Amino acid sequence: MRRIYLVLIAIMLLAIPFAPMVAAASEADEEVEEETTIRDFSLRVDEGVRIGDYRVELISVISRVDGLIEVKVWKRVSTFEDWRVMEILRDANFDEGADRGGLTITVIEIFDEDTVRMRAKYRSSYGYPQKYITERGMAPKNLPELEVTTALDRKDVSVGDEVKVTITVNNIGNATARDVAVQDSPPLPAFRYVAGYPPKIKNSLEPGESDVAVYSMVAATEGDVTIPATVARYADSKSRVSSASSQPQSVTIKPKRKPDLVLLVEPPQPISYGGRGTVNVTVKNQGDASAYMVEVKSNLKSVGDGLEVVEGNLDRSFLEIPAGGSESYSTTIEGSRSGSRIIDLLATFQADGAILQKETTFEVMVLERELRFLYFLPIVPVLILAAWLFRRYKEYKY
Amino acid sequence: MLNVLMLGIGQCGNRILDAVNREAFGGSSRLSKYYSRQKFPSRVETLAINTAINDLKELRFTAAKDRLHVPNLHGVGANRGIGKQGFWENREMIMEEIERRGDFDIAFVMTSASGGTGSSFTPLVVHELKERYKKITVIPVMVLPFREEGSIYLQNAAFSMRDIMEVESDGIILVDNQYLKRLSGDIKTAYDRINEMVAERLLFLIESLDSEMLSVTDLGDFKTVMRGGLGMGTLGFYESDKKTTSLTSAIEGSIKPTGLLYPADVYEDAARAMIIIQGSKEYLEVDEITKAVEKLSTKIGQVFKGIVIKKGRPKVLSVFTLSQVPDLEMLYAQAAQAIQDEKSKKTRAKKQLDDAFAYIEDLEEVY
Repeated sequence: MRRIYLVLIAIMLLAIPFAPMVAAASEADEEVEEETTIRDFSLRVDEGVRIGDYRVELISVISRVDGLIEVKVWKRVSTFEDWRVMEILRDANFDEGADRGGLTITVIEIFDEDTVRMRAKYRSSYGYPQKYITERGMAPKNLPELEVTTALDRKDVSVGDEVKVTITVNNIGNATARDVAVQDSPPLPAFRYVAGYPPKIKNSLEPGESDVAVYSMVAATEGDVTIPATVARYADSKSRVSSASSQPQSVTIKPKRKPDLVLLVEPPQPISYGGRGTVNVTVKNQGDASAYMVEVKSNLKSVGDGLEVVEGNLDRSFLEIPAGGSESYSTTIEGSRSGSRIIDLLATFQADGAILQKETTFEVMVLERELRFLYFLPIVPVLILAAWLFRRYKEYKY
Repeated sequence: MLNVLMLGIGQCGNRILDAVNREAFGGSSRLSKYYSRQKFPSRVETLAINTAINDLKELRFTAAKDRLHVPNLHGVGANRGIGKQGFWENREMIMEEIERRGDFDIAFVMTSASGGTGSSFTPLVVHELKERYKKITVIPVMVLPFREEGSIYLQNAAFSMRDIMEVESDGIILVDNQYLKRLSGDIKTAYDRINEMVAERLLFLIESLDSEMLSVTDLGDFKTVMRGGLGMGTLGFYESDKKTTSLTSAIEGSIKPTGLLYPADVYEDAARAMIIIQGSKEYLEVDEITKAVEKLSTKIGQVFKGIVIKKGRPKVLSVFTLSQVPDLEMLYAQAAQAIQDEKSKKTRAKKQLDDAFAYIEDLEEVY
């Protein structure tokens, strides 16, 4: 009697959405035993399968070693909901088991921390199990996530330049990152480390927290260098270890910086005899480092007399001429003897303790003395002749 | 060295003087005065004197300072009376101008016997020179006119010749235009040629007198020659051409009518003579010279000979005075005739005028 009763309830339940099925159910009920089926499927945490109106969701793998998992089984359009810890290879009946229209589930295998294989037994009419992702699975996970960036403070690097490397580790996840460790491979031998190495980052980073480590190094050899990515390893609350890395960077190291002085001389126009001319000298640093203790000297005195400085001085000294900078000065010279003279100008300067020299020459022309009366010389015979003729003319003119 | 004064008086004298100056420049070119220098054989001072300024202006080779204008009138109009008066009025000025030029041994006064200024001034100038320079030899060079030039000219020539003779010049050298006009066609060329001839001879003479001669003829000899005969003479000249360089023919050429300035038969009329021979050594054959001079001597009497050795073909200058001058007599005869004619012409005119006036003698003008 009791069995009939149960069947009646079942029919009633089934008959609500599908009235036509009532007759069939009645017929099946009449055959008493309905067929059941067994299906295997695998599930990940936060995944579930649909079996008829039932939903089976894997909440978590509690212990692989003990073979314990936590599942939630519920039924659509029903109050049925069951949270249960299941043991491996042990059948568990939900909603009275497969024989009574419910489910019988067995954990066959636990692959890892979040994947298991299950077997479900249920009425064939429920169809095939269909996978879906649970609401929990779709919700954000509480995991730490680190972002690592490496930045050099300068792009233009020459041998001997100090480069500051800034490593920024930012926790962009929503859980605390633990055991944070930065692994930075040094780009040796292109660089030498100077200070702050190895970089140190806080051991744990809260969500949204960031930490910065700075170290400096000096470029040692020229060439193209790839600075390897910086890798940060960290663990989440479950001690699961993850890593994040920055982008590798490439840097071209140029040759060592040094000063390069150029002496630009604007020589005077040819100086008239006894006249003056101006020499404009520009000391230009074309290099990429400062030149120190610059001294410009000329050999004007040894060139010989007939040319002397009357204003200013060709010899000058400058404490420092920065890269790209220049110094100009001018000198007035007077020529007291004609001729062409070559004047050497020598600039001595220091860079990195070494003494360097640069030399230039220029020519100063002193023109011949202009004897203007010579122009009149050819006229003189003509004048004399004219005077003679005129005198004769006067002499014989009565 | 001789100090020579050459005066050119009157238009004719001025022109001869200009020819002398031109000759001294070397002759040929009109422009020679602009590039050349005068080369006189001695110290020669030239002075052109004239009353007509236009005649002085037309001179070309005489320096301005050597032209003296006597500020009388514009010429004297061939009137010897006015000329003489003009000289007296300006005597000091003229003589000062001459004296300023220093001392002189010989003076040639070149003039025409017929013109106004020349014929009237010359006797007076010669007189003044004789007065002021005690030892000077003054030789007037008188140019006789064309006979047909006019009665006044003939008259002037006659009287001035007489005046000259009276002032005791050291002899006159005669030049006869009438005789020389046969030389070339037009009158200008003829005058120029005559002046040139006179200038050439005078300079040759001066050069010879001042040279160291092989055979000596000096100023004294010249004076002796010039004082001979009538005290009138002339010059003959011959320059050998390329073909005939014979000395005999040269000497003969110089006394032939073609070489003379005045028509004369030297062999017949000459009183004294001087033959000056110039040329390169090779032409001067002693025999030839001696023969030629001997030939002359037998006819004339005294013949001085001078030989100057100078590079070039033989040139011969003959100076001689005449013992008789038939042509001059003819000139005087013509002059007398001319004066007579002039007189009667004047009387006739006077009478004619008087007769004409006679018509109105007793009448008054009526208005």
